[in-house]
Amino acid sequence: MVLWYKNSHEFNYDFQTVSLAYFNRYPNPFASHVLSTDLIKIKIDSEGNLHQTKLIAKTGRLPKWCKPFLGKVNQTWIIEQTIVNPILKEMKTYTRNLDHTGIIRIEEYTTFNYSELENVTRSETYVKFSSGFRGFGIKDRIESWSHSKFDENLKKSRKGLSFVMDRFKHQKTALWETK
Amino acid sequence: MSASFAPECTEAKQKYDDCFNNWYTEKFLKGKSMQNECEDLWIEYKECVEANLVKKGIKPMLDEAEKEAPFEKGGVPLDNSDEKK
Repeated sequence: MVLWYKNSHEFNYDFQTVSLAYFNRYPNPFASHVLSTDLIKIKIDSEGNLHQTKLIAKTGRLPKWCKPFLGKVNQTWIIEQTIVNPILKEMKTYTRNLDHTGIIRIEEYTTFNYSELENVTRSETYVKFSSGFRGFGIKDRIESWSHSKFDENLKKSRKGLSFVMDRFKHQKTALWETK
Repeated sequence: MSASFAPECTEAKQKYDDCFNNWYTEKFLKGKSMQNECEDLWIEYKECVEANLVKKGIKPMLDEAEKEAPFEKGGVPLDNSDEKK
């Protein structure tokens, strides 16, 4: 079973603020379930793009109907991969859960593009829910759960990102421009 | 700034993050530097993280995921024809 969702958004911030906020989006008041983030790999390729791989730990965000199969598991590992093209002012991000993938696999692809003319950064997100899990009525449950989860999570992560952007915007003068 | 999954690495991580944020905004995005100028701090932080990835048994799962290379098709999901909403 595979489900795809798509969503677009516009941030009234420049590329520097958006991408920096993305890298530093945790902790924020809308992501209390995020426990840690770690950089695993960083490299700049021959074309000057910045590649990073991060590992994120979250507390149990799996649906209730998973509990009988997971027992006491209450932590999920997420891998995040990002590429920044500093010339095009474009960032591509990919995240997916590393464990419990036998039950559900949630992959998110986002592209952020900066428009110099309008001074806004647009994002386009695709989320893929896939599950090979079989059982009576499970498919319907996964479908309705992933649908509501998609809306809820996207709203929350946007709020969190905007919160961090705001903070960076206010700090920028003090923190970076005086250095 | 967020913590490391391994508490003993958090200090090294935060030092590195500070350096990275400054380098990223002041140098990298401005086209002034194509080299990670936080290399020393990264090496220190990385050693700590790698040791703990092994200790906590996360490494095999992570290595497996890294092989997938989701951006090879330009970062755009190609097999999205199944169902879309």
